[in-house]
Amino acid sequence: MSENEYAIELDHVSRIYMRDEFEVRALDDITIKLPNGRFVAIMGPSGSGKTTLLNLIAGIDHATAGHVKVGGEEITSMKERDLARWRARHIGLVFQFYNLIPVLTAFENVELPLLLTDLNKADRKQHVETALKVVGLADRMNHYPRQLSGGQEQRVAIARAIVTDPTIVVADEPTGDLDAKSAEEILSLMVELNRMFNKTIIMVTHDQRAVRFVEQVFHLDKGVLAGIEPGGRAPTSGATQAAGSH
Amino acid sequence: MKYLALVIKNLFRNKRRTFLTVFSIAVSLFIFSALVSLPTVANQVLADTASSVRIVTHNKAGLTYSMPMAYQQKIAAVPHVQTVVAQAWFGGVFHDVTDQFPNVAIDHEQAEQMWSDWDVAPEGWEQFRKLRTACIVGADTMKRFHLHVGQQIILKGTLYPFNVTLNIVGVFGPKAPINSRTFLFFRRDYLEEANHGQAYVDEMWVRADSSANVQQVINNIDEQFANSSAETQSEAESAFIGGFLKGYRMLFRLFEILGFIVVVTIGLVAANTAAMSIRERRGEIAVMRSMGFPSGTILSMLLSESFIIGLLGGLFGCGAAFVILKIFSGPRMGQMTIRMPTAVLLETLIAAAVIGLLSAWFPARAASKMNITEALRMVA
Repeated sequence: MSENEYAIELDHVSRIYMRDEFEVRALDDITIKLPNGRFVAIMGPSGSGKTTLLNLIAGIDHATAGHVKVGGEEITSMKERDLARWRARHIGLVFQFYNLIPVLTAFENVELPLLLTDLNKADRKQHVETALKVVGLADRMNHYPRQLSGGQEQRVAIARAIVTDPTIVVADEPTGDLDAKSAEEILSLMVELNRMFNKTIIMVTHDQRAVRFVEQVFHLDKGVLAGIEPGGRAPTSGATQAAGSH
Repeated sequence: MKYLALVIKNLFRNKRRTFLTVFSIAVSLFIFSALVSLPTVANQVLADTASSVRIVTHNKAGLTYSMPMAYQQKIAAVPHVQTVVAQAWFGGVFHDVTDQFPNVAIDHEQAEQMWSDWDVAPEGWEQFRKLRTACIVGADTMKRFHLHVGQQIILKGTLYPFNVTLNIVGVFGPKAPINSRTFLFFRRDYLEEANHGQAYVDEMWVRADSSANVQQVINNIDEQFANSSAETQSEAESAFIGGFLKGYRMLFRLFEILGFIVVVTIGLVAANTAAMSIRERRGEIAVMRSMGFPSGTILSMLLSESFIIGLLGGLFGCGAAFVILKIFSGPRMGQMTIRMPTAVLLETLIAAAVIGLLSAWFPARAASKMNITEALRMVA
């Protein structure tokens, strides 16, 4: 398998924080190569380093050691300005609490990442309408977040994450604030995105129900890769390579 | 421009807070512009007369003592003197005692030469020389009493026991110095006719042939009448008007200091409000940065919000000060009408913009540079 067929390549990545005078080893020597078009989950107990790993992949945090490549591009040494530009092009983020801008309508929230592109107003409108249609909220585009249910808010957040057609979608506990029915709907939507658009999706979750929707599950424990298990769906693309520190 | 809609949406996020911030800036800048207008107008008057070749000669005992008329010819003979005009203060009122404005009787033949810079049309001066009851009125007084050229008006005497009926033949136009705009000139020969004898001459206005000779003319006049029964005191026009304003100097300085304190205080209040508003949105800002919005763009958007708030406050404050000064411009400071000068308007708007930008600078900069993961964790 050639290098750029991997959506994500982590090479001996560690992340160490300083909390006052204490050193916290959030991630310790993680090596993963994840092929394009996978839908995977990262699971593990609180404090195991799941979100830290996601933040490194999304380029919103920096590794203390090792190399992070996303879509074949080395992001470890990028300067903040370049990294911001890179995120705008390659990353779609979905958060646990949706994090929609309350003063903007669903349409405007989804349009937000497109403001960073060179698209004109008409093209932006077309992209937003398509994204909202994909998540099934074409009829709610003029609603404000307070006028939507939690599940609908998360769908808008997913539309916002995919509207720029990013290389990868990273989702941090996307079902963590939802009831069982809405959670299943969101997971099904993510599967659909993965299948229909071949989107690489990497999701941090505590939700055991998520296992049957994903192709692989990475288990983290105390900052190290504790194991990889198959998910409920068979992988549609090449083999994952992974190595932990033990 | 594509971010403007977002900036405006954020401005109306908390309507009450935005309104109160705009209102508080407006009130403080209203106070600032009203306070600073007074010294600025005074400085403008002094600047207008700084290069004047006019000299005022009055009785050394004080302005309320009269000048012997015989002095007029003697002063006219002093080297470098072009012309001399005797002036008698009439002190009349238009309808009632609150309708006051400076009205004086002057020598009609020499008036045009003396006040050639007071922007009167040549036909106005010509009519002034021809018609005994003619008068020329300042533009502000014309506007205040809705007068027009050709109108006949009656001034009620307060110092003299009679009224004068005058015909308006000209106006001190908009290019005239600021201190001329409320004056009314009428003819001294008409005053003496109505008085059935010589009127009380308060001052002699003297025009030197050049500003370089003003001091020499002043010295010669005062030397000539030294040790006489009516010694004179001569002053350049700027010094004469400056003398009237001297008593207000301390007050003006106090106004300027108070204006500055008000602006600094509201700047601190606005800074606190901006900090609060930005702190509440740290999560959203982190989300936008995680999407790829550069910190410079975030900073610009936050500063734009604050800039608009400051500028709106400035516009409302200036507007209110402009209107209120105009409405209450009846009370005079010396011989002037108090209006907000353009310079004060600009200063106030600049102050508003600076308040807007500086008040948000530190919180906006901190928010635009904050660690994204830390901020997201706080939201979660």
